[in-house]
Amino acid sequence: MAESEVHDKLMSLPEAVRTFVADGCRLRSCGIGLRRAMAFVYEIIRQRKRDLTFVISGMTEDADMLVGAGCLERIEGSYFGLEAFGLAHCYRRAAEQGIPRRIEVEEYSNFGMTMRFMAAAMGLPFMPVRSHLGSDLIRVESFRHPKAIVLDDPFGTGEKVALLPPCPADVALLHAQRCDEDGNTQVWGQLGDDLWGTLAGKKILVSVEEIVPTKVIRRDPNRTLIPGFRVNGIVHQPFGAHPYQVQGYYDADARFRKEYAERSVDLEAWRAWMDEWVYGVHDHEEYLKKLGDDRLTGLRAKKVLSGRVNYGY
Amino acid sequence: MATEAVPSSPESRGYKRTELMAICAAREIRDGETVFIGTGLPMLGGMLAKHTHARHCVMIFESGVVDARPTRTPLSIGDACLVPGSSMLGGLVEVFGLLLQRGDVDVGFIGGAQIDRFGNLNTTVIGRYDRPKVRLPGSGGANDIGSLAKRTVIMMTQDARKFVERIDYITTPGWLDGPGAREKAGLPRGGPSAVITDLGIYRFDESTKEMYLESHHPGVAVEEIRGNVAWDLHVPATVRSTKPPTKRELRVLRTKCDPDGLFLG
Repeated sequence: MAESEVHDKLMSLPEAVRTFVADGCRLRSCGIGLRRAMAFVYEIIRQRKRDLTFVISGMTEDADMLVGAGCLERIEGSYFGLEAFGLAHCYRRAAEQGIPRRIEVEEYSNFGMTMRFMAAAMGLPFMPVRSHLGSDLIRVESFRHPKAIVLDDPFGTGEKVALLPPCPADVALLHAQRCDEDGNTQVWGQLGDDLWGTLAGKKILVSVEEIVPTKVIRRDPNRTLIPGFRVNGIVHQPFGAHPYQVQGYYDADARFRKEYAERSVDLEAWRAWMDEWVYGVHDHEEYLKKLGDDRLTGLRAKKVLSGRVNYGY
Repeated sequence: MATEAVPSSPESRGYKRTELMAICAAREIRDGETVFIGTGLPMLGGMLAKHTHARHCVMIFESGVVDARPTRTPLSIGDACLVPGSSMLGGLVEVFGLLLQRGDVDVGFIGGAQIDRFGNLNTTVIGRYDRPKVRLPGSGGANDIGSLAKRTVIMMTQDARKFVERIDYITTPGWLDGPGAREKAGLPRGGPSAVITDLGIYRFDESTKEMYLESHHPGVAVEEIRGNVAWDLHVPATVRSTKPPTKRELRVLRTKCDPDGLFLG
């Protein structure tokens, strides 16, 4: 790849979303309990993207806001709630009352979704798992036919497996700690389904807390999750996962999550919250300014440094 | 003089029902076991066990953490506070695929919105799937844990709308429709071993796979328990009272597991 093209990967958040997230595409996001690509999600809502299929194992505020804002047509996933903060109310309104529109949902388990991403990432037509068997996850289909197939081991052990179809994405979003200008992206802490899920994307967009010189990455290559040649767009976005955590950068803003959970119970209160925090701010910088320096400083991670290893030979 | 004895509530006994539930969860963990932990009271149960009778138990979390030793109450299974001090970090494939599916997890904890007599769980939908009355979060990792751990412990609050004759959706298989059903479905092992609620503890009959009452919590009458189960619950002639929390269990739970009352209330 020519140098100029490499350099072209760096872009602003609105530009990245405008360039790569098309109406009707299959969109994957990231993070289980932390490192959610919230800045991307807010921008997708601001740009009023429509008819997306959202795919990820655990969906929380990100998917709830996308559903409430009318961006989604379909969901493939395994969990849809606000963890310790309760049920996802935009999701409930859509599923129970068709507000703001009906969405179709195809569900598997967390492990099932991860293996589906792995199939897509590896270019395989299916993956076997030993869960799902005997449950309604196998029997109840929404828009995939067949959703899963139970197979007796063709090698004759008498064991059964459930075969699950791949879960590819047109665009995969990943929020990570850091990358270099080529997009070599490093993540530490829990990895969730991010390795397989991100690589299941035909195009990959990363937002990072820091862009570092490539020598920093190359001094510690074991920490790289996604090689730069697979990355199509890079957005430098500090606090890009707020109100979620990023290991080594900042803690969860539990007060913010609790407020969202409370405000989203009622449709009008949810709309007012969205007007204030998503539609009412121009971009993520304005969102952070609105949160205020004191609040962000209070969230900053304390230092818990790892040891160093010898890569010498 | 009072005409009838009113059973005293757990609060008047010096502990909350959530505290008793977390303590009962801890007691299900044996020393040296590998334990798959979910958000909420099971996290407190795991931490309590590790601080008391099961110092060598290994807590694993689906986000990818192996042998976590958190020093604060984790907000979720993905909390970054689970990372420092753990022995290994991976992701869902490592934990679900390499540890759980292979058969290396002794006990897994799961919750539910509806349960039936065979311990099948629904966390997906109340009402018809395509016309839900209440849309719930879905499986998450529960189906995997309930399918693949050597045994599972179910934790939920109890009433007759939750302990039902027929659940609306089988998110996580219990004993399905009775003896031999898990094997027939192709599940390699496992099944529910206990249900811990705010009223009592239940186990499953070895031959029928049906739930029975093992113990009622202190101050809870068996009639109250029957009134909060929609089917004709089997209650053995010699049902006992759940062992109350010890001072040590309560102290460790309150000071080391959830000092701010995030999950204990």
